[in-house]
Amino acid sequence: MLSRLVRRTHMYLALFLFPWMLMYALSTAVMNHRAYFVERYGSGPIPFEAERTITYDGVFAENAELRTISQQILASLDLDGAHNVSRRKDGAIVINRNDLTTPRRLTYSPADRTVVIERMAHRSSAFLERFHRRRGYATGYRLDTLWAVSVDLVLVAMVFWVASGLWMWWEMKVTRRLGLSAFVLGAATFGFYLMTL
Amino acid sequence: MTFSHLNRRVHLYLGLALLPWFFMYAISSIPFAHTPFVEARDVAKKLPMWTLRMDRTIDVNVPAPDARATELRAFGAAILNAAGIHGTSFGVYRQSESQINVYAYSFWKSTQVKYFIPERRFTVEDRRFRWDQFLTGMHARGGFEDERILTRSWSVVVDLVCLSIVVWIGSGVYMWWGLPGHRRWGMAAIVAGAASFLIFTLAL
Repeated sequence: MLSRLVRRTHMYLALFLFPWMLMYALSTAVMNHRAYFVERYGSGPIPFEAERTITYDGVFAENAELRTISQQILASLDLDGAHNVSRRKDGAIVINRNDLTTPRRLTYSPADRTVVIERMAHRSSAFLERFHRRRGYATGYRLDTLWAVSVDLVLVAMVFWVASGLWMWWEMKVTRRLGLSAFVLGAATFGFYLMTL
Repeated sequence: MTFSHLNRRVHLYLGLALLPWFFMYAISSIPFAHTPFVEARDVAKKLPMWTLRMDRTIDVNVPAPDARATELRAFGAAILNAAGIHGTSFGVYRQSESQINVYAYSFWKSTQVKYFIPERRFTVEDRRFRWDQFLTGMHARGGFEDERILTRSWSVVVDLVCLSIVVWIGSGVYMWWGLPGHRRWGMAAIVAGAASFLIFTLAL
């Protein structure tokens, strides 16, 4: 009964989480070959392209905090979501909206009440890397918190796949010898790297 | 041997051979996913992160601000040599117009060398060992910028792990399809997972 439960959990968890694992595999490969992409696109930050400029008519409470201002601007433009905000020396407020597919930079100038909206140029490698690095519970947005929970689920699942994989292997007597060889070879190689790198 | 048999064996033996990497990536993701918690615990210890080991002047040719990465790397190697640090992986970064930082690291030890251009002076500082940084350092290790064969071979294994994950997905789906009694619920799991992931992709 336990064996059956372990096997089914191993399988169904994998079927549900395969998009996450595929994303982590592809994004890791991209980051592992970063030099190729630097050569292709050049080093330095990804450029932003102008999207539109609007006049913002909203009003802010006196002494409103930056975060309040940024949330109000983003909500009014239907762009609300995880973001960072800062104020430049010239008084302009810069909001970096960490959209997964299309990151945007919004620059609000209080003097003329304009908002310049720019979008980051699309690069598949950068998109995958953003996905890989997206985590944490600190943004204050429910969807981001749910994503962080899903990342935690992936971590737990990975540990479970290791443990249940070992369990299933040990149950198959015919594979024990060759399996042990594979395990020892892998562990020894890993140990060697651990001592030398 | 049938294809189904081969598929099962590849799934299993690949898993057993790469198990330490897979486990390491899982465990080392925890400090990444819960950075504020881990940092708060460390801050509570009130221990300094870096310990100064050396402070001296040196006359070397500093690469121009627009120097190629290879020139900057050669400069980093020369500075490390002057600091008596040999045979480790390292990265070189121009911190500012007046400062270049060189980070030398292994899984167990990290050292930063700061070169102050106007003063022609450098400092060598050792980082206090932390388990979370040990794990995240291993997790983030990769790339082919380092010329040493050993370092590159680790990156080849990282590629192998990526490829293996794709193979596990493919071989796992094949095995699932071979179990007619689980097709309906399996399909439900796939659709639910894919739909959730798509929503995150579009809405995050």
